[in-house]
Amino acid sequence: MDNSVKQFLFNTMKQEFTPFPVDKSICTGWAEGEKRGGETILYTGCMYQLAPLSAIFNRISPIVSRMSSPQLILGMAKKVHPEKRELERSYKILRRISSILKKNGVDFGYLFEDEPYSGAFLLELGMLDEFEEYAKLVKDKLLSMGVKRIITVDPHSQNALSRYSEFFAFNIEVINYLDLVKDVGESRSKGTYVIHDSCLYSRFMNKRDVYRLILKKSGVSIKEDYMVTSKENSLCCGGPLAPVNDGLSSEIGKYRATQLKRVSDKVIVQCPFCYTNLSPYVEAIDIAEMISL
Amino acid sequence: MSENIWYVAIERAVNNNIPRVKSILERHTYISDARAKLRQAKLEVLSNLKEYVDMTMESVRRNGGNVYLAKDGEEARSIVEKIVGDKNTIVMGKSMVAYECGIRQHLINKGKEVWETDLGEFLIQLSNEPPSHIIAPAIHMTREQASKVIRKIDSTSSAQSHEEIAGEARKFLRQKFINAEVGITGANAISADTGSILLIENEGNIRMSSIMPEVHIAIAGVEKIVPTLEHAFLEVMVQSAYAGLYPPTYVNLTSGPSSTGDIEMKRVSPAHGPKEFHLILLDNGRFKTADDPILSEALLCIRCGRCHFHCPVYRIMGQKWGDPPFTGPMGAMWSYVVYGDGKPSLLCAHSAGCREVCPMDINIPKVLERIKYIAQK
Repeated sequence: MDNSVKQFLFNTMKQEFTPFPVDKSICTGWAEGEKRGGETILYTGCMYQLAPLSAIFNRISPIVSRMSSPQLILGMAKKVHPEKRELERSYKILRRISSILKKNGVDFGYLFEDEPYSGAFLLELGMLDEFEEYAKLVKDKLLSMGVKRIITVDPHSQNALSRYSEFFAFNIEVINYLDLVKDVGESRSKGTYVIHDSCLYSRFMNKRDVYRLILKKSGVSIKEDYMVTSKENSLCCGGPLAPVNDGLSSEIGKYRATQLKRVSDKVIVQCPFCYTNLSPYVEAIDIAEMISL
Repeated sequence: MSENIWYVAIERAVNNNIPRVKSILERHTYISDARAKLRQAKLEVLSNLKEYVDMTMESVRRNGGNVYLAKDGEEARSIVEKIVGDKNTIVMGKSMVAYECGIRQHLINKGKEVWETDLGEFLIQLSNEPPSHIIAPAIHMTREQASKVIRKIDSTSSAQSHEEIAGEARKFLRQKFINAEVGITGANAISADTGSILLIENEGNIRMSSIMPEVHIAIAGVEKIVPTLEHAFLEVMVQSAYAGLYPPTYVNLTSGPSSTGDIEMKRVSPAHGPKEFHLILLDNGRFKTADDPILSEALLCIRCGRCHFHCPVYRIMGQKWGDPPFTGPMGAMWSYVVYGDGKPSLLCAHSAGCREVCPMDINIPKVLERIKYIAQK
């Protein structure tokens, strides 16, 4: 990613608390009827909602960065919306997560348009000074709203927020929704599935067994293969590389999908970016689309 | 090389290597303890690197060897050139540090006859390509391609199978070993207390390169030093196990020039092997790296090459990711350590399969995160 684009995004982030210029109604559209605010919040980071737009953004940003006024073009991103079908899918997933948590006795609110982006991509690009500066703003914002506990729904937000404490004192608890799902109903899924593990969930947070247990309780048939799905052999979907090298990111996605299809042609993911990178090449389903109560 | 050939080559390598490493580690469970002990020993050296370099140099001299500390590749080339002098025929035993310093090309430019003797390295010398993997430099070549390349030494060759291709190389290189005046190798481990170098191999080429010529030059990074000979043996055990080549066919231990004590128990030198032994220890960014608490983890790498196979970026990009001979996840670290190139780190997807399988428990994504940060400053 070009330096001028990085700087533009960093400045936008500090002002608007979004990863890039975006119409915030895209992020909040799923949450009708949700309680506003509170000490415990369900945190989306707008990741599911924006993943389809991120893919477009990553594709055009190298072209835009070569133009004379990239900021003007990038600023127009606010006028772009994801395809209705993709946005509805993300809303369905978030509503499903909210519903399962409530049925599991978890009480929470949502920050709506005040929900700040976590800064995950700054961290993942190695922009550590910028990440620290931005994360402090997020911390202040969260504390000003009385937040004491955050329930994340995606691995990138979980990773970024969990790492705030490496940079400064951060006393807000960060927990992932998968750790709170104890009871699930029988899944209506048919056939055998293969799990594509999120690298962050699997190898950084040791959650492989957490969602495998949830799927087992739901009665979902899972096929494992040492060379494809084991902790040491499962490969990345390529998603984190999209802002750096979109072509390489897609190649990795295609390669990974080919591996997974050797095990099953139906793939369960737990991350919106894994979905974005794999779904052009294989049928991908988010775990929240598989479970209910 | 087309992308399709790369995909065929890497798939074959992965499917041959990964199950074999798994099986070795399950069969020889003591390797796990060995690697933990080795990590501690290497950390001890890195925290006192200058002292251990001094101790090693003193030990090599005590054995009757010559020892040098080269600050960079240029100085290493100059030292090698002086040692070689007017000798003309040189065999090399797959040293990635020699590649790092450009030793082979430098000697060829000076008019010397230089042959790589490791089969993979020999093939890439013939095809004039950079190595694509730290221990399997011709991993990007399929058998079909190797068959074409080997015809460069004998245009009438009809070698097709793995065995036949190896046979052609054996036939050609036997004469080179016999005539060689200088042998150049690397070192898998160097023990500070005895000044010994350990080299593991399977082909026999390193044993020939280090025994048959009158002069043996070993070149290695300072991070290869371990406190004692016991640790050096641990390193070659762990390296070969994690490379999927355990037990190694040969382990070569060299402590100075050849010697004999057969007459009145008086140890004299030389005997049948080399009459000169030279060890060149290379800095080339390693001392500076040892001072950084995060980057210094990179220096723990024992070059087993396992991380490559568990990395999605390497599986797609191969030798195009990193600065040869440093490719793959370890290569993205080492491209910065020795060449100051931070760009390869930017392509790390922090997938962490590398960290999962590293015998030295190097947190490679963390090191690369640090390099990304430095590269963008």
